[in-house]
Amino acid sequence: MPEPIDGRRCVITVVVGDRVGILRDVASAVADQDGVIDGISQTVVGGYFTATLTAAFPGAVAPEEIRAAVAAAFGPGEAFIAVRPHARAAGDAPPVAGARYVITIAGPNRPTVLKAVTTYLARRGINIEDWNVMFDEPYVTHVGEITVPRHMDIKQVQDEFHHLMMQLGMTTCIQHENIFRATNEVGPITSLLKG
Amino acid sequence: MLRTSDILSTVRMLQEEHLDVRTVTLGVNVAECARGEMAETCRAVEGKIGARAGNLVRVCDEVAGRYGLPVVNKRLALSAASQLLEGRGARDALLLARAMDASAAAVRVDLIGGFTALVHKGMTPGEQTLINALPVVLGRTERVCASINVADTRSGINADAVRLVAQKILQTAEATADKNGFGAAKLVVFANIPEDNPFMAGAFLGPGAPECVINVGVSGPGVVKRAVERLTKARPDASLDEIAEEIKHTAYRVTRTGELIGREVAARLGVAFGVVDLSLAPTPLIGDSVGEIYQAMGIEELGAPGTTAAVALLNDAVKKGGAFASSSVGGLSGAFIPVTEDHALAEAVAAGTLSIEKLEAMTAVCSIGIDMVLVPGGTPATAVAGIILDEAAIGVMNGKTTGVRLIPVPGKDVGDRVDFGGLFGGGTVARVNCPRGSAAFVNRGGHIPAPLRGLTN
Repeated sequence: MPEPIDGRRCVITVVVGDRVGILRDVASAVADQDGVIDGISQTVVGGYFTATLTAAFPGAVAPEEIRAAVAAAFGPGEAFIAVRPHARAAGDAPPVAGARYVITIAGPNRPTVLKAVTTYLARRGINIEDWNVMFDEPYVTHVGEITVPRHMDIKQVQDEFHHLMMQLGMTTCIQHENIFRATNEVGPITSLLKG
Repeated sequence: MLRTSDILSTVRMLQEEHLDVRTVTLGVNVAECARGEMAETCRAVEGKIGARAGNLVRVCDEVAGRYGLPVVNKRLALSAASQLLEGRGARDALLLARAMDASAAAVRVDLIGGFTALVHKGMTPGEQTLINALPVVLGRTERVCASINVADTRSGINADAVRLVAQKILQTAEATADKNGFGAAKLVVFANIPEDNPFMAGAFLGPGAPECVINVGVSGPGVVKRAVERLTKARPDASLDEIAEEIKHTAYRVTRTGELIGREVAARLGVAFGVVDLSLAPTPLIGDSVGEIYQAMGIEELGAPGTTAAVALLNDAVKKGGAFASSSVGGLSGAFIPVTEDHALAEAVAAGTLSIEKLEAMTAVCSIGIDMVLVPGGTPATAVAGIILDEAAIGVMNGKTTGVRLIPVPGKDVGDRVDFGGLFGGGTVARVNCPRGSAAFVNRGGHIPAPLRGLTN
């Protein structure tokens, strides 16, 4: 079923060679259109600034107008910019309801590893919400945050995944995110368990 | 939002630095199990332990798997067994201990504490029965651990009890001569016994505790050692206060893993959560040693001048990190120095750099006492009592817990090597200086009065 469109919001994606001031340029373009940015994820990958934003506007949005406003901050062909209307349902609920786990994978850098990992997770209905890869040739370390469906047997997932990765010569761990929050955040442990 | 570097540092603690939850200990009050006949009492004890602890191991394994954090030991700590022995004899004491042993086996825990008597002020007939039964009980059971509190800061030292317990330590070692006196490794003599200590052999459920409670012991000497090594590698001239700060931060992180596990296990079992005890408890593994931490600080020969200061620094930093990490810190919380269980300490004793006298000095500033120290089987009872009195004096006068877990090894003398295997490790029989030099003092018996600092009301 097609998702209903929120006519006053849009999703903006920008990919451009990194330099100082890119986020300022994008934010200024949105603000000049009276938009309010209400979601943002930005990082630099391989020298490329990449950002995805959601923004709300006072009236109906014309995505091409927003795209043109953002593109004006860059030279011709300098940046890849995509703007699409925000699908209302996409903001209402995550694709998977469950517990957040952290997955770590380390070992020799092989091109098949990421495909094997993501294929397994998708087959099990496990959603990837964040993924980082660090290369230290000839080794690689993947760190991902995933949501495991509520009623899934985590031990079975851990065992299956461990077996799969062992065949590729990788070591792996899937651990509930609270162990990392406990060791790296300040705040009562009880607040983690209530969450 | 978790940072990748934070995630990887936690993974490193778990996978490379031996971070684990050393013990999840379920305290169970068995006072209500008293019946007219000891056989009925034993059945009630077994029934209560089965009902309360039947799921302990399964739940611990599930929680450990969820977090990827090993829970090495699952244990039980009962309320003081002496309460069930009033008006009873030696035979009943053994029956009760066997019931404890069988209950522990039935719920798949390796050790059960609580064969305990608190005699710092005096001894009831039941407590005397328990102490007299120690050699038989520890010789004929596998999992039962015993503890006797002979002193506290408000009462002073019960020297009569010390003398009696010293004899029982020697008799226990003799009763287990075929295992190099290993029975004595399951008996701790305390001053200021903690009521919520989850670590064996001294765990018991104190009289002020809930009916059932989860207390957790976290360890992690390997994590602390690696943190000190990283600091001193990056900055070879790092000062002692910088080392203390690094240990404090590490202790904070380690303590919180324990509280996380403990609270979740307690919630799943439907019992209260008590305390997390961050004690740097070593195992004989390389890289899981408290002695190696002192070496990483710069004490190249353990026992050298400065060792006591290194222990004080470590113990204090661990306590401060733990105190900030959790408002439920308890037990012993500090650094242990169990000689046979720590390869670096054991090697220092074998090399002669670490003596009983130096260990005693270290106990004045660490969280426990003369622990897992092998002495000659022929050591006189008065010398054993003298060592206990010295340790008790340190504890009483400084308002801290001290303990003695001496193993007089039958048929062995100074320099002989003994191996217990597993987590108990092994080591070299240490010299007891002037073993007959304090007999007249010890044999006076009586009571060493409480210090002024005990009169605080």
